[in-house]
Amino acid sequence: MEFLIVSTLNGVIYGMLLFMVSAGLTLIFGMMGVLNFAHASFYMLGAYFAYTLSGVFGFWVGLIVAPLLVGVLGMLVERYMLRRVHAHGHAHELLLTFGLAFIFEELVKLFYGDFPVNYQRPEALDFSIFHIFGTAYPFYRIFIGVVALAMFLVLALLLTRTRIGMVVRAAERLPETARALGHNVPAVFLGVFGTGAALAGLAGAVAGAFFPTNPNMALELGVIVFVVVVVGGLGSLTGSLIASLLIGVFSSFAVGLDWSLAGALDVVGLGEWARGVGGLLTMTLSSISATVPFLLMLIVLLLRPAGLMGAKN
Amino acid sequence: MSRFITSAAVGIAMAASVSAAQAEPLKVAIIESLSGPQTSTGRLLATATEYVLNNVNEQGGFNGDSIVITEYDNAGDTSGAATKFREAVADGAHVVVQGASSAIGGQVTEDVRKHNIRNPDNPVLYLNIGAEALALRGEKCHFHAFHFSTTAPYRTGPLVKVMQQEGELGKRVYSINQNYSWGKDMQQAILDNADEYGYEVVDTVLHEVNRIQDFSPFVAQIKSANPDSVITGNWSNDLLLLMKAVGDAELDVTFGTIFMDQPGNVANAGDVAPGNYVANSSNIELLENDFPEAYREATGHYPVFIEPGAVNGISLFAKALEQVDFGGGDIDVNKIALAMEEVSIDNGISEMHVRKGDHQAVMPIVVSRVETGVKYPVDDTDYGFKPIEVVSAENAIFPVQDSCRMRRP
Repeated sequence: MEFLIVSTLNGVIYGMLLFMVSAGLTLIFGMMGVLNFAHASFYMLGAYFAYTLSGVFGFWVGLIVAPLLVGVLGMLVERYMLRRVHAHGHAHELLLTFGLAFIFEELVKLFYGDFPVNYQRPEALDFSIFHIFGTAYPFYRIFIGVVALAMFLVLALLLTRTRIGMVVRAAERLPETARALGHNVPAVFLGVFGTGAALAGLAGAVAGAFFPTNPNMALELGVIVFVVVVVGGLGSLTGSLIASLLIGVFSSFAVGLDWSLAGALDVVGLGEWARGVGGLLTMTLSSISATVPFLLMLIVLLLRPAGLMGAKN
Repeated sequence: MSRFITSAAVGIAMAASVSAAQAEPLKVAIIESLSGPQTSTGRLLATATEYVLNNVNEQGGFNGDSIVITEYDNAGDTSGAATKFREAVADGAHVVVQGASSAIGGQVTEDVRKHNIRNPDNPVLYLNIGAEALALRGEKCHFHAFHFSTTAPYRTGPLVKVMQQEGELGKRVYSINQNYSWGKDMQQAILDNADEYGYEVVDTVLHEVNRIQDFSPFVAQIKSANPDSVITGNWSNDLLLLMKAVGDAELDVTFGTIFMDQPGNVANAGDVAPGNYVANSSNIELLENDFPEAYREATGHYPVFIEPGAVNGISLFAKALEQVDFGGGDIDVNKIALAMEEVSIDNGISEMHVRKGDHQAVMPIVVSRVETGVKYPVDDTDYGFKPIEVVSAENAIFPVQDSCRMRRP
């Protein structure tokens, strides 16, 4: 019971963090068809900007201003880089963002050094909110979850209930028609890309104070965020949310389970033999828990190629 | 036309006379992870190497010329290292220095071994200043490889010994390590020491390297095992995230670590950092000489983490260079290697030399605890690494492995 509750709680919160980063990515892909490899870099930049700002103006200013800065940077990237290569097709856009990711990483090292910087949550947020089976649970984890949830609600309402959302969806579905109706489609794209980047920046500003802010954080989260987007269905916000939670919970449970192929073979009486053989047969699930998301992606791609909530199923 | 030929001939003659007057410079190739995720380690190792060799150059260099130091960026992977090794050899490197990552170390040492079999007249030396895998000193050992860093058993024995003496090891020890050669070495070392220091390993966990963002599920596992202490060989984020997650859960355990002294760890771990242990081959708190200040003057920071060890290793190499004299002629790498087996240096804490059996550096291990009131506080905090005990080399070092069969020239 303890294992069940603690693992679920841990998994859900981690899933919410994944969602915060992947929301922007799926939004950008859904609207513009651009698979943005530099997306996790925006997450990293958000953390670093927030670290710099919080040193001068305090944590909250950093939390609010850093995402805005990242958003502006995202707009610049869209306006002066992506738009130029857009005519050459998606491969060029992909390669451009791929290169950008490396450049951002090395730039961060240049300015902030190779080591993690000391970006900490403020004292006011640094307490345990409750004890669960004798283990303290930090408030900040709940805070991450709440911010992510708020973000999801605002985004979902914005896209489905407002005029802006209508124009954005129109520009995505039928850009030519939207343009003919007098909407400035490039401006919409600019806004979407900036918002997506800002969301990643917000995730970085929030999570960077909990996980160490270091030059590798983009790399560490980058791959998994792609998995989330693919599993959820490219372009689907709800899909991303579901996929994030799934991956969070699955990875969390996998850590606690000592399942191995040898254990499974016990059922048919071959367990001893399997343990004798060793290798792959005795590898426990917990030692490959970080692989679980990729396994999930594989299964989803085989069964529902467009993702859980993808439009083309 | 004829003028062109004349000038070309003069040019060639001049070039020939210059090369005759100049000695063959010793070429040292630093093949490190200078970009990518392991930059934080690779850059420090390169800095430490250059610090020592630049000092040698300031005092007149070697073989009548300055040592040529070239950095090659292996970008943190083995294929990059293999490419850069070929490049370095093409550039005429005599010595290859590498340290960040045992996987890359394995690649480099094999490349060097194969190169030396194929080119017995033109061998290359490998100076390992950081890769800690036992296999490098075991089945992969060869005459041209020298290992100045430690290994998992080399550090774990002293670590648990001192933690037990201080009464902070307890009876229940939890082992959590990264799932590759290094982590497995660590886990084995933790299990091997259980009887001698009277503890029970309540659980062992191997997890993926640098992939896990959220360690709270592991903390739940640790808590259910109810250990007194956690011994881990984790480095970088895997150590930081683990310690922070344990701190957030307010578990009362002591950490015994190998890499707690990596820059950024103490500040980032915050309240969790004090009271935990680290075992390393050096600690500048113990040094009475002016090395820390001199290092800071040259590089901008005090030597930390793997830097003192790397400096000691390269200093031993520099000492060996003093023993050989090629009179400005061709450099014989084998003679340098033989000299390295003979020399010893004072690393500020103790005598240090290389044993012949597997070319492992023999030096004591310093076990330290994170505390305030130290000479060199780290990460802009009040905390630093207070030396608790220096465990002598004889009591710390692992035996030469049977798998090491070294063929001498």
